[in-house]
Amino acid sequence: MNTLMAKELVKTFPVKGGRMTAVDRVSFNIKKGEIFGLLGVNGAGKSTTINILSGLIIPDSGEVEIFNKNFFKNQEEIKSKFNLATAYYTLSTNLTVRQNLKVYAKLYGVKNAEEKIEALTKKFMVNQLFDIQVRALSSGEKTKVVLVKALLNDPKLLFLDECTVGLDPDMAEVTRELLEEYNRETGCSILFTSHYMQEVERLCDRIAFMDRGRIVKIGQASSLIKELEMQEVKLHFSRDLKQAQRILKREGIEFKQESAQALSFQIKNRKNTIYPLLEKFVKARVVFDDLHLNKPTLEEYFIKRSRRKE
Amino acid sequence: MKLYRITAMLLNYYYFSINSLDRVFDVLYWPLLDIFIWGFMTYFIQGISEVNILNLILGGLVLWVFIWRASQDLVVYLMESYWSRSTYHLFTTPIKISEFVISLCLLGLIRSVLAFGVMSLLSFGLWRFSIFNFNLLHFALLVAILVLFGWGIGILISSCIFRFGTRIQVLAWSTIWIVQPFSCVFYPLEALPKWAAKIAVILPTTHVFEQLRASMNGLPLDYGSLLYSFVFVIVFLVLAALILVKSIRGAKKAGTFAKPE
Repeated sequence: MNTLMAKELVKTFPVKGGRMTAVDRVSFNIKKGEIFGLLGVNGAGKSTTINILSGLIIPDSGEVEIFNKNFFKNQEEIKSKFNLATAYYTLSTNLTVRQNLKVYAKLYGVKNAEEKIEALTKKFMVNQLFDIQVRALSSGEKTKVVLVKALLNDPKLLFLDECTVGLDPDMAEVTRELLEEYNRETGCSILFTSHYMQEVERLCDRIAFMDRGRIVKIGQASSLIKELEMQEVKLHFSRDLKQAQRILKREGIEFKQESAQALSFQIKNRKNTIYPLLEKFVKARVVFDDLHLNKPTLEEYFIKRSRRKE
Repeated sequence: MKLYRITAMLLNYYYFSINSLDRVFDVLYWPLLDIFIWGFMTYFIQGISEVNILNLILGGLVLWVFIWRASQDLVVYLMESYWSRSTYHLFTTPIKISEFVISLCLLGLIRSVLAFGVMSLLSFGLWRFSIFNFNLLHFALLVAILVLFGWGIGILISSCIFRFGTRIQVLAWSTIWIVQPFSCVFYPLEALPKWAAKIAVILPTTHVFEQLRASMNGLPLDYGSLLYSFVFVIVFLVLAALILVKSIRGAKKAGTFAKPE
């Protein structure tokens, strides 16, 4: 069952001498309980997409269904069941943390607001900042307060736009754990954008890669990574480096000498491609004492995909 | 429409006001200043004139505060939402624009009443002038027209801010003062030159202040004039609301809410 369905979303903005397409025929769906990642370089259209889905921007064309209802016609009802957190927009800077959260709890009609605020601020470790104005908080603290706001109404759909930016590694890990826990316990669907690829790889069930306003690929992190052609191998030899070099040359593999006894080279990113080569080394009595296989990562996929000119 | 969302916004403005002294200050400071300056001046003129100018000036001054605060506070608090960068999160909540605007209107009314209270007390304490000496029903009618017109102006300026952002914030402070000279707050309509009188007679505020003076002189109210003013402000409010809806749609199309100011 889908929580969110975006169909053929298009958004253009006027620029000097024409219009710039920020979102170009974007379609995807998020299943119930799924964490869906939206990746792409700056300006790829991720935030514009989230702003359309949260009702802040009206698209030129396209449809959005959330909880099986037309979002643009049922905004009041749908908005009461979702929430949003971003590192780029704080809550009201002139209000204290407590005042802000009380106002938002009331806006969402949260019952037992005081207890809820108390529990969430404790979880995100911002309860000691209760009476400080948001303007006086550090950027990481502001983000944590926004995350608390995002969970106030027990959302069934969460939009998280780079919500771990500015958090220290420990707090970023705590946040990831809390989000995983919330997703597991409530079955909440999450649309997640981040520039931390390890975070995306760990959290997201599926990932859509955006480039110049378009979704160019959707899939699981593992299947995206499989698309990378090559993986890097580093070998450290105890002796007879020349024999290894001869074998690599014969196989048509380009290599780099890393040190007096180490070589690195690229092989195809397929299952079992390294074994035939290693067999040849063994047969030729080439002895190596360390092998390092650098599996391609989502980060490499991101970089390769971003640099690709289409 | 949900009452709890309107009260949430009022709570937001309350917190905002107690956190920024200048917002509390301007409810007290300007009325205080007005009462002193105009009071001293009229007290002086009263001594050399046979006309009861004290009632005319202070009556106009005390009533003007309703349209002034109703229009200006509506816009200023909207801009505060922009300045404090809270519009982004605010408009992702289920709050409807109508609830948002009603909360701003109520805020304007509350602050008008507060400023009116301060002015009434001071003008009575200093000059023994009491607005409550006049017919209370007349007074309530006149105030209602002024508040509605103030809201209309406030909503119209808010529409411009939604559409073009706070770079046109000068309108928030200046618009109401463009209306004032044509509203005959302190002088009768006949005092204006012909070209200005043609503008003044269209404005509901002119009719309100003309009726205030009539009421102060013990004359009966011209209900035709009041009906005109009432119909005018209702039509004006509806038009302003329609423009607001269009502006917000325009802002959402332009992505204004999602752009940092």
